[in-house]
Amino acid sequence: MKEGPVEQARLKTWSALAAQRRKPSEYEAVAFDTHFLNDYAQPGRSGPALPSLGPDTFVNRWYQKNLIDSPLRHDDWLAFRDPEEVTYRRYNIVQEGQENYVAEVLDRFSNEGHDAGLDAEWLTVLSRLYTPQRFVHHAVQMASAYAATTTPASTISHCYAFQSADALRAVSHVSYRTVELARAHAGFGFGEEERRHWEKSAEWQGFRELMEKALVAYEFGETFVALNLVAKPAIDEACVRQFGRAARRFEDSVLDLLSDAILKDSARSRAWTGGLVRFMAQKDGNMDLLRRWLAKWQPLGDAAIEGFCAGLPDGDRAAAAARQATREFRDSIGL
Amino acid sequence: MTLLQRSDWYDVARDTNWTPSFVSEADLFPPEMSDPFDMPKAAWAEYDEPYKVSYAEYVKVQREKDAGVYAVNTAAARTRFMEEAGQRWHSILKLHFGAVSLAESSSQISEGRMARFGMAPGMRNMATFGLLDEIRHGQTQLYFAHESLKHSPQFNFAHKLLGTQEWGAIMTRATLDDVFLGRDAVTTAIMLTFAFETGFTNMQFIGLAGDAAEAGDTSFSNLISSIQTDESRHAQIGAPLLKLMVKNGYKDEAQKAVDIGFWRTYRFFALLTGTVIDYFMPLEKRTSSFKEFMEEWIVGQFERTLLDMGLDLPWYWDFFLEDIESFHHGMHIGWWLYRDTVWFNVPAGVSPAERDWLESKYPGWNDSWGRLWSQIGENIRAGRTDLTVPKTLPVVCSFNNLPMVTDPSKPWAGKDQMLTYKGKKYYFQSHVEKWVFEQDPERYAAHQTLIDQFLAGRIQPPTYEGALNYMGLSPVERGKDAENFAWAFAGREPRTMAAE
Ligand SMILES: [Fe+2]
Ligand SMILES: [Fe+2]
Repeated sequence: MKEGPVEQARLKTWSALAAQRRKPSEYEAVAFDTHFLNDYAQPGRSGPALPSLGPDTFVNRWYQKNLIDSPLRHDDWLAFRDPEEVTYRRYNIVQEGQENYVAEVLDRFSNEGHDAGLDAEWLTVLSRLYTPQRFVHHAVQMASAYAATTTPASTISHCYAFQSADALRAVSHVSYRTVELARAHAGFGFGEEERRHWEKSAEWQGFRELMEKALVAYEFGETFVALNLVAKPAIDEACVRQFGRAARRFEDSVLDLLSDAILKDSARSRAWTGGLVRFMAQKDGNMDLLRRWLAKWQPLGDAAIEGFCAGLPDGDRAAAAARQATREFRDSIGL
Repeated sequence: MTLLQRSDWYDVARDTNWTPSFVSEADLFPPEMSDPFDMPKAAWAEYDEPYKVSYAEYVKVQREKDAGVYAVNTAAARTRFMEEAGQRWHSILKLHFGAVSLAESSSQISEGRMARFGMAPGMRNMATFGLLDEIRHGQTQLYFAHESLKHSPQFNFAHKLLGTQEWGAIMTRATLDDVFLGRDAVTTAIMLTFAFETGFTNMQFIGLAGDAAEAGDTSFSNLISSIQTDESRHAQIGAPLLKLMVKNGYKDEAQKAVDIGFWRTYRFFALLTGTVIDYFMPLEKRTSSFKEFMEEWIVGQFERTLLDMGLDLPWYWDFFLEDIESFHHGMHIGWWLYRDTVWFNVPAGVSPAERDWLESKYPGWNDSWGRLWSQIGENIRAGRTDLTVPKTLPVVCSFNNLPMVTDPSKPWAGKDQMLTYKGKKYYFQSHVEKWVFEQDPERYAAHQTLIDQFLAGRIQPPTYEGALNYMGLSPVERGKDAENFAWAFAGREPRTMAAE
């Protein structure tokens, strides 16, 4: 965006936003173009990202390769807006309310002796498929934090940052439940076997492969496809939604309700993910690129869903439903 | 209530390291982004973040903090305050928001890097909150500055400055690129969270908050002291790391990172805070001198923290203690003389009463810096304000782009401050900058100061006016004397001056 004139004595907004016709929202005033790195490091711009440092320093070569040389192009990356205009203060208002609700659920069901009534078959499923989830959510937390450091616009970076924090929220819920389950039921390996399941159990190897590979897909465009178009939808559908459905059938109301709470965060992530895809679609060639990356990553996502759901009662149906839901999400945003 | 305590489950939530097998460890944690010292896993396992917080606690506490900062009923009061506050206070705000808003915002990149590439889960979790914190600091300060646009177009620089080639912006970027945007997770934790945040942000945010409260700007005072409560949490990312480095045989590496990070940070805050506290602040509102703040926060607290950790004082400590007596005085005279190259109106801060204060805080000031100001005052009283604007670009430090200013009562120690690298001559503010440069010349050699850009022909037309435009300063944005030279006539015959 071109600088607007500043000669008038009173500015209504930043000169950088003055050229835009509409009056900027609070979100725009505080989120638009707020990383000075972005002034240089945009796909198609000439770098280096950090001009104060030598062009051959590791960090500049990193941004050259993973951001500036990205095949994704846009004439004005800074024009991207989060469709839900999530500011920091809005995020905390929303999430405090969400966490109060979760605390209420945890408190009430623990007072009612909920965990003592859980079925042994279900406890085995929980120990294999639920408590190890802290690893998969933490991997999403890490990948999202990285993605926040490698974008051409602060408005994209902020979305990733909130997504990273959402994943830490999920890690916290799982960890909390891990301790409750361990206290209520010895002998299932709660609080002890999670890492082994994540590293070795068949159900997890698909997700571990997907996340390890997504974590090293460092290039801006491929990170987005691997993480937001494949891995997160797969995790949200299989590990959260389908797992929550199964919990309901085993009368595990806590997990049923916790899953729904986490899915609210997923919906927010999907809103901006869709927004960013529509934004990228403004430039010819980008959608083809996204589809090409999808062709590479989708099989990993499907395999991960398959492997995980195989451990669920009624796993075939769950896998098909999860797979279908990831497709519907991608369809809904033109992919 | 039968909710678990945070401590019941906290350790589970930070037991999230695993052994990858689909990709290599070196791809997952490239040493240049992560841990360049390749410390053993057993050493990393000792990492224990001292300030523990859960997600639920975080969003609750932060929501409450924001409720205080954005309180609706303060908005009207603030508009009234701003209308009545003098130019000097406005200048402090413009300088602060310009240098700080996007700097904090950009440090999201540093926090994100630590959240991804830190080798200890506790470090990654802390940095995830740090990442959110820095969104807060960028957004709240931009919000305040945006609300202030109605008072002056110069507040536009809160958003604009760090995207320009204004010389203070070049200095700020050179510092931040080096200490926290262009480093691996370990070095970032040392240079940013330990040297920069633990060492110095107290002074900017608590020191200035105290002065702001004195000046009656309660909402700004609340804003920045609230920010500091976040800083003091995420600043603790570095300390446990330094501890485990010292314990496991990486003291030299840790010490070097502290020495570099501390020095660069010191220069940044001397410019930003030193000048404000000793010159911009209205005399009757001052709580302490910059030197007193430095002695309290840095020499008192930070020095002890360093030693407790098993580290040494930086090798240049004696020189540093001398430097806090003079460097920022030189920078302030630079702000004032080159006032049309900055985005705020510069108060001279040297009325007779203020000179007495400076002499009492910095004995000998009158005979050194005071002499220069006396000459400037005479020129102004003789109607020759034109003589007070240099209209040529100064010699600047090749490393940090600050004008080379030395205490006029002392000889210039020239030869310790120059070197030739690959045929190019580099001039340094001091032998410490030179030492930093020598640690990794390729990292720094290509840095283009404003003068380098001028000599490369990028400033067109190649005139002083051309340079002002190149720096992004339109005529209404350029700084003036904040008090229309009234200070030069204080205690003398009343005289009217044409507005500058
Ligand atoms: Fe900050
Ligand atoms: Fe910070």
